[in-house]
Amino acid sequence: MADTNWPSCCRSLKGVVLDMCGVLYDSGEGDGVAIPGSIEAVQRLKASDLQLRFCTNETQATREKFVAKLQRLGFDISVSEVFPPAPAVVAVLKQRGLRPHLLVYDGVLPEFDSIDKTNPNCVVIGDAAENFSYQNLNEAFRVLVGLEKPVLFSMGQGRYYKETDGLKLDVGVFMKALEYACDLEAEVIGKPSPMFFQTVLGDMNLQPHEALMIGDDLVNDVGGAQHCGMKGVQVRTGKYRPSDERHPTVTADGTVDNLAQAVDMILAQRGH
Amino acid sequence: MAGRRAVKAVLIDLSGTLHVEDTAVAGAQEALSRLRQASVAVKFVTNTTKESRRSLYERLLRLNFDLQEQEIFTSVSAARSLLEQNQHRPLLLLEDSALEDFTGIDTSEPNAVVVGLAPDHFNYQTLNTAFRMILDGAPLIAIHKARYYKRKDGLALGPGPFVAGLEYATGCRASVVGKPEKAFFTQAVSELGCSPSEAVMIGDDARDDVGGAQDAGMLGILVRTGKYREGDENKLRPPPHLTCDSFPEAVDHILKNLL
Repeated sequence: MADTNWPSCCRSLKGVVLDMCGVLYDSGEGDGVAIPGSIEAVQRLKASDLQLRFCTNETQATREKFVAKLQRLGFDISVSEVFPPAPAVVAVLKQRGLRPHLLVYDGVLPEFDSIDKTNPNCVVIGDAAENFSYQNLNEAFRVLVGLEKPVLFSMGQGRYYKETDGLKLDVGVFMKALEYACDLEAEVIGKPSPMFFQTVLGDMNLQPHEALMIGDDLVNDVGGAQHCGMKGVQVRTGKYRPSDERHPTVTADGTVDNLAQAVDMILAQRGH
Repeated sequence: MAGRRAVKAVLIDLSGTLHVEDTAVAGAQEALSRLRQASVAVKFVTNTTKESRRSLYERLLRLNFDLQEQEIFTSVSAARSLLEQNQHRPLLLLEDSALEDFTGIDTSEPNAVVVGLAPDHFNYQTLNTAFRMILDGAPLIAIHKARYYKRKDGLALGPGPFVAGLEYATGCRASVVGKPEKAFFTQAVSELGCSPSEAVMIGDDARDDVGGAQDAGMLGILVRTGKYREGDENKLRPPPHLTCDSFPEAVDHILKNLL
């Protein structure tokens, strides 16, 4: 049953930010599968007077390839509406003059084409999946312990995500492994970092209280958004687990069965 | 000397303290013989989980150390007793060479995850399997949580980072059975019939050997061999009882000052 209190805030709402994996689709073999009702829900948001952006910790593909996949699944999405961590990391590396050792999925490598990677002085990790081999983790570890001031960037800090064949470990697990090995704290770029949400809000030219985040990850989507002043609603799709509704530190402003139900409730409040 | 205590037992780490891979630390065999001539009990305590107790023993014999197999106390032995106590069937993330110490343990339809040092198993697929089992309620048992260890080709990740990752993924705490757990040290000295305050530990790992032993009430001596890195002694509060160049120097100190 959906919480019936949160939609009242939607009357003053100006923008909606959607997480992608677990909200729009479940990843898996090939392109994965669209979650029933999500394609139409995105269309209805786009037809409304609300601004819409997509905020993802997806780091397995370039933005172009990733958006093309969503389009093949039937979603009306364009590259400029999507905010993943890799371009944000590239901006930080350039600004600070850092040369990364990359432990990422092969598909996202082209995002780093413009960056000097010789003689690395920091490590960047993303959701590398099968590339998280002992040997690759060891190489990243050796780069870090060899630096006088080790710097580790993690594109997100998720614990796990859901693929069609079950739950899979996410980048946060390997971030924790390297943090523990090297006694350091990673700089997280992606959700739940406030800077990441601010970038998306800035793009819509909105204040935090004017925007709502919808995601399947209670801590990173909902908690991250709430932390910077947005409302956060969780869907019971993707990686959602019933224990999320009794979480000790994060309480969603609302919990809904899926994106379609969330959009129904938002638009109903706005007299659509 | 005020506050001086008479040491009755010496616990000695193996890898990095007596030897690095297949090379003995210079003078270590002779130093061990000198220690054995004093009236002090000796036990070899190790988190080396790649190998069975027997293969550790055989390696030390080849390097001409004077010891017996029963004098070696490993974190694998400690893990096995925990599984037996709780009648768990483990998924064993261990090198094949260490599996010998689990002979006779039922591993069908596993309902517990045991993590040791297993570079061959620390891949995405196996870690996912372990992760899903733990989410379904299987306990996570870590043979130890060392951050890294020293190989011929440089430093390499230990089991600790992978245990820390699985803990983060699942929100569960691992039961750690090896160094630096207090239970490990107290069990080792109790087998020698003395209390922690009567024992000294010699090792190259500041946290796991020296810090762990000192937290258990023993004296700790840090040697600058193996995985030691400059400044390691400064990471400990209280600092090591002594930091010295290598095992023979540690033995000299014990013989001169602690007996």
